[in-house]
Formats: sequence, C-alpha cells, structure tokens
Amino acid sequence: MMMRILTLLAAFVALSLPMTVQAGPLRIEITEGVIEPLPFAAPDFVAESGAARQLAQDLAQVVADDLAGTGLFRQIPDSAFISQISSFSSPVQFADWKAINAQALITGAVDLKPGGRLVVKFRLYDVFAGQELGSGLQFAGTREGWRRMAHKVADTVYSRITGEGGYFDSRVVYVAETGPKGDRKKRLAIMDYDGANVQYLTDSSSIVLAPRFSPTGDRILYTSYETGFPRIYLLDVASVRRRVLEEQDGTMSFAPRFGPDGQAVVYSVTRGGNTDIYRMNLATGQTRRLTSAPSIETAPSFSPDGSKIVFESDRSGTQQLYVMDAQGGEPRRISFGQGRYGTPVWSPRGDLIAFTKQSKGRFHIGVMRTDGSEERLLTASFLDEGPTWSPNGRVIMFTRETQGAGGQSSLYSVDITGRNLKRLKTESGASDPAWSPLQN
Amino acid sequence: MNAGQYISGVAHIGLIGWALLGGTFKPAPEPFEVTEVSMISSEEFDAMTAPTEAPSLDTDLAALTPPDPEVTEPEPPQAEAPDPAPVIAEPDAAAPPPEPEETPDVAALLPPEPPGEIEDVAPVLVPPVEAPVTTAPDISDRPQTRPTTRVAPEPVAPPDPDVKIDDIAQEEAVDDGAADIQREQQEQTAEEEAATEIVTEAEASSSAPSTSVRPRTRPTQVARTEPEPDTGTKKAVNEALAQALAGGQAETETPARLSGPRLNFSEKEALRVAVGSCWVVDPGARSSSVTVTVAVTLDRNGLVEGNVVRLVSSEGGTDEMVEVAFRKARRAILRCQKQGFPLPPEKYEQWREIEMTFNPEKMRIK
Repeated sequence: MMMRILTLLAAFVALSLPMTVQAGPLRIEITEGVIEPLPFAAPDFVAESGAARQLAQDLAQVVADDLAGTGLFRQIPDSAFISQISSFSSPVQFADWKAINAQALITGAVDLKPGGRLVVKFRLYDVFAGQELGSGLQFAGTREGWRRMAHKVADTVYSRITGEGGYFDSRVVYVAETGPKGDRKKRLAIMDYDGANVQYLTDSSSIVLAPRFSPTGDRILYTSYETGFPRIYLLDVASVRRRVLEEQDGTMSFAPRFGPDGQAVVYSVTRGGNTDIYRMNLATGQTRRLTSAPSIETAPSFSPDGSKIVFESDRSGTQQLYVMDAQGGEPRRISFGQGRYGTPVWSPRGDLIAFTKQSKGRFHIGVMRTDGSEERLLTASFLDEGPTWSPNGRVIMFTRETQGAGGQSSLYSVDITGRNLKRLKTESGASDPAWSPLQN
Repeated sequence: MNAGQYISGVAHIGLIGWALLGGTFKPAPEPFEVTEVSMISSEEFDAMTAPTEAPSLDTDLAALTPPDPEVTEPEPPQAEAPDPAPVIAEPDAAAPPPEPEETPDVAALLPPEPPGEIEDVAPVLVPPVEAPVTTAPDISDRPQTRPTTRVAPEPVAPPDPDVKIDDIAQEEAVDDGAADIQREQQEQTAEEEAATEIVTEAEASSSAPSTSVRPRTRPTQVARTEPEPDTGTKKAVNEALAQALAGGQAETETPARLSGPRLNFSEKEALRVAVGSCWVVDPGARSSSVTVTVAVTLDRNGLVEGNVVRLVSSEGGTDEMVEVAFRKARRAILRCQKQGFPLPPEKYEQWREIEMTFNPEKMRIK
C-alpha cells in the first residue's frame, strides 16, 4: 500500500516537472502566415557608359514591371530610397534598405560597348539576412535584345526568391482580330509575354484558329480554313514557312497540340460526322486513331511526361473531361461537376489541368487535379475560354470576350490562386493564346 | 359512537323533518286590511281614468297583409290618420303642493370644523423592514447518493468479496467423491451487506469538498532539495520518477534542462503572432508544401544573436524548395524581431534558445 502511494506521488511529481523545468529549447509552431507581395527595391541600373544611360533606366523598369506584374512582388518607389546605388561594386547599406522594408534589393549595371554589344549584370540581395542571394550574373547581347535581357534578369530574380522557374522571357502566339464581329479578320500573331514586339505570322485572308507552340518554341501548329475546310498547318516561326500536316478528302482536322517530345502531335479528325482523336508522328507521318466512340472527342492535351492525354468528349451526353493513355485505350472520366467542361490543358508542372467550364450561363476558367479532384474556378464572365499555361505552370492566359454586337476579344491572365487577374495589352482584339516555353 | 356523531344524527333528522313538515308549521296568514270605499260617479271615474288611457291602436290587420303580387299597379298607400297626440294629464289643481320645510336642516352639508393647527413637519418615514440577506452557499447542494435502505434485523459481518451475494447464505457444496450420488455443484453465497441503521440523506456525510479547489499560483523558483540519504522509500520514489521521465527524455536529444518558470500560453502566442505576421506564404508555390524548423539564439533584448538562423530540419519538397522555405522563415524572424521579440526578461533562460517550425499546410490552396 505504501509503495502504491509512493508510486502515485512519484508520477505526480514527474508530471508536474515540465511546468517548471524545460528540456531543450523553446519550441513553437507557426501555421498562420500572411499572403502579401514581397516588397523589393530596383533602383536604376548603373550606366557604365554614357550611351547606356537610358537603357539602364529602361532595363531596371522592365525588371521591376515583370516582378510586380506577377502579384507576388511589390516595387518600392524610388522616392522612398534612403541611399542610392552609385556603383555596382560598392557595398550595400542594408540598414537603409531595411528602413524602407525592402526585403529584396536588385542592383545592376549596363554597358553598351562601341560595337553595339550590350552587357547587363546584376546582383540580388536578401536585405534582412544582410547577404547576397546567389551570385551576380552577366548577360551580353545586342542592343535590340535589351528587353529579353531584362526579362532574363527578372526570371533569375524570380527563380532565386520563389524557387521556381520564371516565365518572363517567353512569347505568346495568338489570333489577332480586327473588324466588326460579323466580318472579323483573323491572323496569327506572336508577341513577348507582356505584349511587346508583336509580329504577324499570317495574313487575314483566311480564318485561323488555335495556334500551339512546339516544346522548343520554334514551330507552331494551327488550324486554317484556307481551303474552305479546317486543316492543320505546321509553321516554322523563324522562316514563317508552313506546310499542311494532313490532307484527306472529306475530312476535317483541327485542335492540334504537340507532345512533350516535339515529334508527336495529337489532333481531332471529323470523318463521316464522327469526330475522334488521332496521333501523328511528325518525323514519319504515321497516324494512329486513339478513340473510336460515336461521340465527339476533341481538344487533346499531353501530360508533361507524355504518358497521358486529357481531352473533352460528349460520350456521356454532356461535354466532360477524360484522361486516357497516350497510346489510346479506355478513357477515364475526371470531371463530374455541374455544367460543361472543355479545352483541357495539362499543366507544365503536371499536377493540374486547366479547363473551360460553362455553367448557368457563364463561362469559367478553372483548374483541377489530374484525377478530377479539388476543382477550383478562377474566373467568371460572359465568355472565358481557351486556357494556356505559363512555362512555369503558375499563370494561366485565356480569351475573354465581352457581350454584345460590339463585343471584343482580349487576352487575360490569372494566377493559379485566382489572384492577379489582369488584361494584356494588345494592338487589337486577340483570342486563342498559346504560351511558349522559356526561350534559350 | 361519540358525541359528534350523535349531534350530527340529530341535526340531520331535524333537517329532514323540517323539510317534510315545514309547511304544517307555517304561521297563519296576516288578516286582510279593511279600507273604506267611497262611491264615485261615472264622470268622476272617467275623469280619473282619462289621462291614463293609452292611445288607441289601429287594429286593422288588413293593412299589414303583404300586397298581392299579381296586382300590376299597386295602389298608392292611403295616408293614415296620424295618431292622436297623447293627452297629457294636467296635475290635479285641487291637490295642493306639499309645503316646503321652512328651515331645512343643512348641518349635515356644512364642512367639518378644521382641526386646531397643522404642523408643517415632514412625516417620519418608517424604514422598511429589511429582507433577510440570503448569502449564496459556499458549496452548492449537490445531489447525494442515497444510503442503503436495507436494514438487517441483526448486524452481519461483511461477506468475503469473492462470494456471490444472495438472499440466503449457504455454504459451497463440493464434491468430495465419497458419496455415491453425485450432487449438483453449488456455489457458495452470502447475504448482501447491510447496515445496522438507516442513514438519511440529511445525516449522510457529503463527499463534496467544503471549499472550491482553485489553482494555486505557480512558484517563481523551484526550490532545490538537498540530497538526503537514500532509504528504501526514497529508492522506490526515484525508480518511479525515472520510469515516468523515461519517455520525455527519449524524445528530446538535449539532456540539459532549463530551470525557471516556463512561458505561459499568452507569452508563447505573442511570439507566434509576431513571427507569423512577417511570414509571407505563397499558397500557389510548390514551396508551400514544405515545413521547415529553424533555430535561433536570442539575446536578453529578444534579438537574434548575429542574425543567425539555423535550419534544423525540413519535411517535404526538394532541396530547392526547402531552401526557399528556409529563407522565408529566416526573413520572417529577422524582419519581425524589430527591437526585440516581446518576451518576459525574467524568463530569459526559457526563451534563449528557440526552435520555430513553419508549417504552411493550413494556407496551401487545395
């Protein structure tokens, strides 16, 4: 009995010990943070030659615009700066940048050599850690390519801070639209991701649709009604030369998309009133039918590893999304929500599928897991359609058309969190965007 | 039978008898009053009755019959002669009016005599009788368990605990093998335990505490006890202590223990909020799936010594994602330390070394 009491007493003392004595360091767990853009300072780059003075300002501004345009960063205006960067090699006064709550500092220098060679170098600092984040980098190119060099600097900064690849040094091919809605002229155009450097790839003599970049960004597949029937064309971006991908009488081919290897192409063919998905090897020209249902199967898109294909089909009575093996086989339905689903696109990350959804008279751009779970709608409007992923899988660009006879199509982008919805500046109406991979 | 019943019986008989024979014993009716009647003439009679005659009513029933529906042109209703105005009888002039009293007695109408003098003194208020102060009882009256109500006629000794309780106590029958007839196995039973008297609820002692048990203030310092000579009892206590503490020590690799009071919940929460308010999470980034634990050493001002934040461990993600998650955690700590984290100086030994785990699971988009 005595032993029992003593044991109980000992247990009581043992349990009460942590109240007064702590073993090891204090431990806390933080599960609630804040979602806000990271403030950064990007003072004008240092011009190391007189000719580079304007470029130094412009480069810094493009870098700042790239970062701030993501919604993940916030530029601190120059007027708030306490100290200035007068030399690329001079030490940074971190206290001055801490005082204005700059968490990242980007310094750079620009030199325009006599032969027209442009040299840009930069450093990135973690202000509160008081150290450089990564090592300095230098890019060299032509004066005409200064925007690309600025995008490359921004991509590097973005990557070092977020740990993910950037998407600023990329391009977008789209359908430029002019004229009234009843007589709209369409032609293929290509531009930088931010709307700069627009180039037209075709004329407006025939309707063009759904351009898609190759994985290397040097070729484009698109659909044209040049012959009166939809046909798929393969266009070389550099030379602007093209060829018909497949031509069979009595058929219509459309909705092409490259495979991740750049050789496989999947597309839809309508033959005898039935639409199915086909796969072609560009090198050999061999085709293979992947679906054989009496319903409409279209809008195929490869997974990043090339093993799966997601597409839309109305085999269940309504337009839904299905996933099948890249070599064909029995598809598995992944969308089960209310409404119609279409134009699925697999994310470059491989974890999400973007789609267009029509429900209750409105159109949405949304994302879901590759098994159809965790569906999230990112936008809602009179007409949103045709999503395309940024190279890093973080942003989705799509077409938004306004209502009415004078309705215009334009390009919008939205973060996969649903934040930072914004319209891209284009010279004219625009639709059917396709994002290129990062340029080399 | 008692007297009450006799009285009741007599009274009832009397009442029934009165009800049956009451009419017999009615008193004789009063004798008729005899008055003298004078003879009057018919004129006098008419004169007396004329004013009281009611106006004559038209008794022609035909006028009340509905009109014949076959008659197409109803005859205009004939104007009936107005009823003769009632004749108001004049008061009898011969009858003299009653003579008014010359000096009516109005004494009853006169106001009463005022009292002598009115004192302008406020009445003395009688203080109300104070209600008895009912103080709340220190201890709430809790329902108490009823004691056993069964009382044995004689006190019995409590049975062995392993004996089955039955109404009749009997011994266990065990087959000894000697008898030819195998008897049925019988279990030993005993009577239920009973008390010698009934204890009512009021008499029973309450098991509720007499005063509320409040948490006692935590001591500021743990008194160090001097080692005492090891005895058998002490050894047992030490063994129990070692056994109880074995699990906790196994979890922590650091055997060193810090003395002094621990941070309470609010102090920890203040630190958690201070760091969390600077922890920028990007729910769309892949690094949001990474949990990192970092360690810092703080000086007495609550500032990170040398701005050094060490990565202790991580969970999930690639090395690159871990690096990004670590930098975010470091940025949160260094940015929000400002003039020092809000920590109680007297407990410095407790928060000198801190390990913070940054877990973005709740903020990740799903």
